[in-house]
Amino acid sequence: MRTQHRPRAARRGDPAQVLMTLRPPAEWLLTSALRRVAQRRPEVFERLGAFADAAFVIAPDGWPVVFRLAPQGASSGVQVRRRDDRSPCAARIEGPLGALLGLFDGSLDADSAFFSRAIRVSGDIDAVMALHNTLEAAELSLADLLGLPATAGNAANAALRFVRQAAAAKAAWA
Amino acid sequence: MELVCPAGSPAMLRAAIEAGADSVYCGLRDETNARNFPGLNFSTAELKADVLWAHDRGAKVLVAINTFARAGETDAWRASVNSAAAAGADAIIVADLGVLAYAHAEHPDLRLHLSVQAAAGSPEAIAFYAGAYGVKRVVLPRVLSAPEIAALVRETDVEVEAFVYGGLCVMAEGRCALSSYATGKSPNLSGVCSPPEAVSLEETDGLLTPRLGGFMIDQVAPGAAAGYPTLCKGRFEAEGAASHLFEDPTSLNAMALLAELRTAGVRAVKIEGRQRGKAYVARVAAAFRAALDALDRGETTAPYEARLTHLAEGGRETAGAYRKTWR
Repeated sequence: MRTQHRPRAARRGDPAQVLMTLRPPAEWLLTSALRRVAQRRPEVFERLGAFADAAFVIAPDGWPVVFRLAPQGASSGVQVRRRDDRSPCAARIEGPLGALLGLFDGSLDADSAFFSRAIRVSGDIDAVMALHNTLEAAELSLADLLGLPATAGNAANAALRFVRQAAAAKAAWA
Repeated sequence: MELVCPAGSPAMLRAAIEAGADSVYCGLRDETNARNFPGLNFSTAELKADVLWAHDRGAKVLVAINTFARAGETDAWRASVNSAAAAGADAIIVADLGVLAYAHAEHPDLRLHLSVQAAAGSPEAIAFYAGAYGVKRVVLPRVLSAPEIAALVRETDVEVEAFVYGGLCVMAEGRCALSSYATGKSPNLSGVCSPPEAVSLEETDGLLTPRLGGFMIDQVAPGAAAGYPTLCKGRFEAEGAASHLFEDPTSLNAMALLAELRTAGVRAVKIEGRQRGKAYVARVAAAFRAALDALDRGETTAPYEARLTHLAEGGRETAGAYRKTWR
């Protein structure tokens, strides 16, 4: 008997599909944030050096989607892809969302996260190092990501700290 | 004692000083320093601006120009010395005889520190560098015990700086060629140990397999702590048993020896890790600041000694050669 598969888009309750429907605003928000940073501090992207045209996949554990990040200065972009998407990229970085956010704003020591196996990296390790050092130097916060003014930014950054701490507490009790 | 902390970027420099570092050490973005990793280090403009920022806060900036200049291609090293001097650096940290000679001749007012890469561990070697080039401080190789350091300090007028935290090398610094064997690049000449372009990390069902230059150097069980993907931290099979033949993946933590080092006359204590980041340096600098301040108050460092274990390579710490328990 042949099993009849319903098309992905038609499946109800598919978390990936739900998130994929939110793709346009998420991509716009994240892409705009990167381009704002590029406009404000173009020198930050110089640290990518040979990886100025590279794309990175950021994959939060347990999420049905991943983020394909292309930090290419004024042409920067972020795309939301299904987790099983295997388009070519320089490197893939996986881990709990809290850890990935900690790497983004530099509040988490990347080497410790690697030693403890909290994060996993594959692909070009030199590209990963270049991205890490670029983010370190950029001194970004969640407010930068969301394009928020200072007052709202403080609240957003406090929320980010809460997410990270909650994730750390969850890891400690796991 | 002066607390010397690493700065791989302007952000890290500021984090270190705000956390209590008396001085920071950093490098320019090229092969003239021993942490020549992608995206790391300072442009000449950043160095100049951050020296001013540090000086405004009473902190010093030491510039590492501590790889060995290649015969016939010494321009980059000369340029780095000139840039550090022009930026107003408080000292440069040098290992190569030619670079020392150049700096001493062209910038006689620029303070010279002898890098750990020079591996000068005897009073005679230190006296040579001081006499020939006016070296004011020596960073000791991490192969001496605490009593050996005390004996050495008694026999030299040069300031002594000792590493107290961070990654460890199993070899005498500046003389290790393990990375070169596998990748063609070494910290001594290229500024990179186990260059990241030669590293691959493969994980299958939680089993992590690091490779360097195509050679499998370890297999880390699911959930087990990992170390840096360097040959010296690799696990190899010999006589039927797999073990870390060169060195366990572990970090130096000599906080418990601060009082002993101070009594011995050590002038400065150093934190390794320019490649780590601001989260690392903020935590380590704060912990060592608290420990040094406690010593100044006549108190013990014990309350601060376990604060940094979560940052350690392989999740483990050691006092390393300072306590040569294997002797």
